[in-house]
Amino acid sequence: MSAAGNGHEGGGFDAGKVILNHVSNSSLDHPIIHIPPIFGIDFSVTKHVLMLWIVAAIVFSLVSFTVRKYLKQDRPIPSGFMNAIEAVVLFIRDSIILPNIGKKFTPVWTPLILTFFFFILSANAIGMIPVFDLLGAINRFILHVDASDSHNFINNILHGGVTATANYNVTAALATITFITIILAGSRAHGFFTHWKNLVPKGLAWPVYIILIPIEIIGMFVKPFALTMRLAANMTGGHIAILAILSFVFIFSGLFHSALAGIGVGVLVSVPLAVAISALEIIVILVQAYVFTMLSAVFIGMAINVHH
Amino acid sequence: MAFNDDDHFLARSFEYFQKIVRQSGPAASASYTLIGAIILLGGIGYVLDIVYGWSPFGLLSGLILGIIVGFYELIKVIWKP
Repeated sequence: MSAAGNGHEGGGFDAGKVILNHVSNSSLDHPIIHIPPIFGIDFSVTKHVLMLWIVAAIVFSLVSFTVRKYLKQDRPIPSGFMNAIEAVVLFIRDSIILPNIGKKFTPVWTPLILTFFFFILSANAIGMIPVFDLLGAINRFILHVDASDSHNFINNILHGGVTATANYNVTAALATITFITIILAGSRAHGFFTHWKNLVPKGLAWPVYIILIPIEIIGMFVKPFALTMRLAANMTGGHIAILAILSFVFIFSGLFHSALAGIGVGVLVSVPLAVAISALEIIVILVQAYVFTMLSAVFIGMAINVHH
Repeated sequence: MAFNDDDHFLARSFEYFQKIVRQSGPAASASYTLIGAIILLGGIGYVLDIVYGWSPFGLLSGLILGIIVGFYELIKVIWKP
């Protein structure tokens, strides 16, 4: 990690810079894979894009391998990881999708909603695994690569946060899929034009529609916005809290010009608190994936089961 | 949902958890939409204030519109048959 990445400026410790460096995406100036601009858009691969690819590959291969192995069995009895997948799939189908979307359209939208859940859960969870920190330590202390060597591949991938779902662009893309799905689900259930007519109740006086139609249109955009902000903010917030508490070690070291002060604060305050918040983060990871899944199901269900 | 006293307490807990999950969906959607509407429209109003110098009317209008849209979504959930 570079000196700037460590937040050292003139020997001081800049906690804000370190925290931002650990939660935000890597800079487009130093991309992991450089791709020339197409139509003026820079498609270079940054850390969060790399993480999205890694998560997609892990989810796809793990679930496909497990399910295919299960289907090839002579007796279809789930065991091991397949047991866990089956329990989660049944829970989401029976407790989230079926009550909100209804029996008729459950088979249609279950694959999408399950994909949301597994993808978001994995993307959230991978942010708690310190793979890149470990790679950095190996690079520095075993391979003896200098931290300022900008041509080293591992040094390049150390920049930026690991949690792709803490990036508003990623959650906005996921929410856009939900937004399009809401329109498709409504159109599929009632027909394209009836879906739009269903947005407002029937049989009201015409002046009421002048107020209701804009409110409903704004409401259409508010739903994906709420999905975007909630997921990204929760994932960023947890990581910032952990990093801020761990920063006490370096802040107190600098304040008292003594490493012992930093170690003392670390042992007594920072590490126990960071462990506690990390445990809380594990719950947050599950809850956020669940809430995104549930809200998507509720919004899709609202377009299908219209009640005015 | 009918609970059988002979069921294991974990099974009963899980069934109850599923029941709560089923009921919480609409409430969660209403609450998130309410907050989302206020933040989105308030934010748009704030940006308009900065760009066009309408301060504080852009922010105020955005917040009021956000509250109207948010509460409308909330009412839709409450009045759902």
